[in-house]
Amino acid sequence: MINKVFTTVGKPEGRIDAVEKSTGKVRYIGDYSVPGLMHAKLVTSTQAHARIKSIDTTEAWKVPGVRAIVTGEVFPYHIGPILADRPPLAFEKVRYYGEPVAIIVADHEYQAKLATTKVKVEYEPLPIVNSVQQAFQTDAPLVHENAGSYTKIISNVYPKTGTNIGSHIKIRKGNFEDAWENCEETITADYSFNLSDHAALETRSTRVEINPKGKVIVHSCSQSPFTIKKVLNQFFNVEVGNVLVHIPMIGGAFGGKGTVQLEPLAYLASKSVGGKLVKLEMDREEDMTTSPCRIGLDATVQLGATKEGKLVAGKYTYLLDSGAYTDQAAGITRAAALDCTGPYDIPNVWCDSYCVYTNHPFATSFRGYGHPELTFAVERTMDQLAKQLQIDPLQLRIINGIKPGHTTPTQTVLTANNIGDIEKCINRAKELIHWDEGQKTVSGKNKVRSKGISTFWKTSTTATNAEAGAILTFEADGSVNLNCAAIELGQGTKTILGQILAEKLGMGMDKIHVTMETNTQYDPHQWRTVASSSTFLAGRAVISAADHAIAQLKNTSATVLQCSTEDLDIGDGRVFLKPDPTKGVEMKDISLGYTYPSGHTIGGQVVGVGKYIQRHLTPMDEETGFGKPGPWWSVGVQAVEVELDTRDFTYSILKGVTVLDGGTIINPMTATQQMRGGMYMGLSYAASEKFVFDENGVVQNGDLRTYPMLRYGEQPDQYLVDFIETPAVDGPFGARGIGEYGVIGAPACLANSLSIAADAELNQLPLTPEFIWKAKGESGL
Amino acid sequence: MIAFDFKYFKPATAEETCETWNEVQRQGEKPMIFSGGTEIITFARVNKLYTDAVIDIKGIKECNVLELQENEIVIGAAVSLNKITDSKLFPLLGDTVKQIADRTSRNKITIGGNINSQLIYKEGVLPLLLVDAKVKLAKKKGEEVVPLQSIFDKELKMGPGEMLLQVIINASAVDLPYANIKRTKFSKVGYPVVSVAALVKDNQTRVAFSGVCSYPFRSHEVETILNDSKLTISERVEKVIGHLSSEIIDDLQGTKGYRIFVLRNILLDIAEELGMAE
Repeated sequence: MINKVFTTVGKPEGRIDAVEKSTGKVRYIGDYSVPGLMHAKLVTSTQAHARIKSIDTTEAWKVPGVRAIVTGEVFPYHIGPILADRPPLAFEKVRYYGEPVAIIVADHEYQAKLATTKVKVEYEPLPIVNSVQQAFQTDAPLVHENAGSYTKIISNVYPKTGTNIGSHIKIRKGNFEDAWENCEETITADYSFNLSDHAALETRSTRVEINPKGKVIVHSCSQSPFTIKKVLNQFFNVEVGNVLVHIPMIGGAFGGKGTVQLEPLAYLASKSVGGKLVKLEMDREEDMTTSPCRIGLDATVQLGATKEGKLVAGKYTYLLDSGAYTDQAAGITRAAALDCTGPYDIPNVWCDSYCVYTNHPFATSFRGYGHPELTFAVERTMDQLAKQLQIDPLQLRIINGIKPGHTTPTQTVLTANNIGDIEKCINRAKELIHWDEGQKTVSGKNKVRSKGISTFWKTSTTATNAEAGAILTFEADGSVNLNCAAIELGQGTKTILGQILAEKLGMGMDKIHVTMETNTQYDPHQWRTVASSSTFLAGRAVISAADHAIAQLKNTSATVLQCSTEDLDIGDGRVFLKPDPTKGVEMKDISLGYTYPSGHTIGGQVVGVGKYIQRHLTPMDEETGFGKPGPWWSVGVQAVEVELDTRDFTYSILKGVTVLDGGTIINPMTATQQMRGGMYMGLSYAASEKFVFDENGVVQNGDLRTYPMLRYGEQPDQYLVDFIETPAVDGPFGARGIGEYGVIGAPACLANSLSIAADAELNQLPLTPEFIWKAKGESGL
Repeated sequence: MIAFDFKYFKPATAEETCETWNEVQRQGEKPMIFSGGTEIITFARVNKLYTDAVIDIKGIKECNVLELQENEIVIGAAVSLNKITDSKLFPLLGDTVKQIADRTSRNKITIGGNINSQLIYKEGVLPLLLVDAKVKLAKKKGEEVVPLQSIFDKELKMGPGEMLLQVIINASAVDLPYANIKRTKFSKVGYPVVSVAALVKDNQTRVAFSGVCSYPFRSHEVETILNDSKLTISERVEKVIGHLSSEIIDDLQGTKGYRIFVLRNILLDIAEELGMAE
């Protein structure tokens, strides 16, 4: 199927949601209001670690309009996607600043908000765990006294009682120790990567009602509608069929809306007022600290190589700051381990990846799922190793680039289909950044320009049984409705799926109507819209649904045209005879069943049903990591050119380059924008974003007034994107996932270029001028 | 969303504003002057500010003036920062306020609001201090024009019920050579690590600072040092830093050590830009 000349796939079709969005007509969750709607607001913890001695709600009850106040003892149980360690509302103790302690439900939002200020919580402070290094010390205070007793929701999570370890994932491939002993050249270096916020435009928001029949109706801006059903079923004993989840278009998510945090709270709130419809909408400040953020990482990387630069051994110690609860950080710990080496062929690999509890806001998935973090550590090490070996850093990467025939750290065998071409990506990026013109040049008084590069890879670590489905229905004019549970969160998935369908049916995009809203009651099950997996999973389901519909269309047509179905082809709104395309039947005349002039009918309406489920994925072995964690690896290279003022250490990013091998690119324009957006996000948190904690673990910059991020207009002047398209045979039209990839190499290539420019090893983030100034001071300026 | 209820008044005259202020106070309540509203709204919604009544001054004619009147530039307290920049009436002020927040916010932020900001920066006041601007205040017993410096000490010191109506600048000051440099943590939009405005009058360099200490200021001691031709530029800069050192702040925008580093560079750059003689 990939040898055909495509008509829609590979074309820069306009986004199907562009007009609604640009005219401001999209209605997000928070925009909805209806008479009788009640509002919930959260009382949140002012302490990072403390025992709750008492909660006095007397004054809060006096605020007019207050209908209910819910506290932790209403639901003193733990929930979680991987390890059930988080009470939706803190009880007995709080573990991070901003943790929900109580819910106020009132007639109006301002009443609920006012009442939250009147709740008096008495705390008894506990010692704070304020960093992963501290958490790891033997006498560290414990964030969870009995982590080992928590219920495991999925396998591959290993909490240890009596420590702050929420999980520990091991990779043991080859024999690291022997190989390390015999390495001609070795390097060991430490890295630190700051916690930061997703900062999606739309803050998290949900509304829940429990109707008199016991149906729980959830509207939410979530990436995980079916997980909401699962959580309400698993932990709240609601029959799974009685949970109805609706998801409208989402205003940005980046993984942060994959967590099920607000829905259980809104469920408890609704329950407290007799099932009435309750809305819980986060203010920006709550979205930043109460809702989960991005993990932090402290890493140590050891690489051993021959004099010629062939990597022989690699050891990786990753301490992930998961904050107070493991949530997706437990999964990220695993993802960081299984791709620990970056896209390099290393025969002897040892990795210890730890999910570490601290008293920071808890972390969840964030675009890249641990990969920007590990890539920063790995790629900084590669650059330092190249320097040590006096090899061109690109050459070192080409020598070691992973290829078909090699195995990944979990010993998955790579084939021509399940991995992209890293060498081609490097060479293309090399051209685009003009590498051969020199990595560092003086560009003016106190000004140097330098180039830095980073390779990256990632697989989609979905559940082994992750799946998607699609349903096609037809209109009387022959146009098609596409329904599936892939969530549109700005990444353009609905456009891509529409293009896949248009290609299959030989139709224009104007004849494809993709349902924007997801409704779990009529959309077939889809795992979640995370892990760059929707083009692959839902795309395959759409192809299968299209084939199903085509078979029905051909069946009806074969009768009408008195021929065999094999004689027929489909395109341009018709089903026609292959040998004589002038003979055919219009789609509009068969899509709802064909009616003869006599009034008799045949065929009935066409309903296309399709599905796809992952195949041959496995969990990882507890001791060695052995297993097949994902279907394919997309690979890529990013590079930046910066200009640094060597006197004051301010800098600007002149040029950004992304080259990705994501298989067939379904829509080059949306893919290009996705790479740019990703790189921008990565550059922003590499350059400036960071949550700052005081000695009590209290977030000092939990609002957009003080939380620094790049602004619109501060992107590189030149922002080049190109694709290498090594097709994946089992992807839809040869496509692999690409959603997260634009972000992955950005922090590493920025750090690499600035390290060259500043002539200092910059191994921490964010790379503010102050940090570079400090690093220069330490290296003896 | 702002959780608490408050009253809203929009008087048409300065006199009426003072009366409203006094009336609210007489009832035991806390009034607040409302101009662009950017701080009141954003701080109130996170419970960092409380008021019983806001008195909006945008309806007062004098507060909306932005023009050259004979040899004086008159700017009403309710004039937005963007309007000041776009008018090009006073380039140093226009350039300085253009560095505050982002353009959308500057459509709302007013010069009066910036000078009376709760934040420590108040960058709009720097050029006004440099040109010896005057301010017109509304008081209980009518209006009064006083030198800005006579009532500005770290912040605008006004009595209860007094209100800033206008700032008045001698037009001859706008042609003087000037320089202004602001350095943030990283993004162009952000609070200053150090922000400095300077101009030269009668061969003397005047300089005012924001972000360095916990208040904006113009210091005659600093200017005396900077104009001391017996010292090299670099010696003067070090002496200024030494003079300010004990009050230089250490916060989220930058550590004290880094601020000193940035301040040194900026002062050297300004000296060069203004052609200060050794």
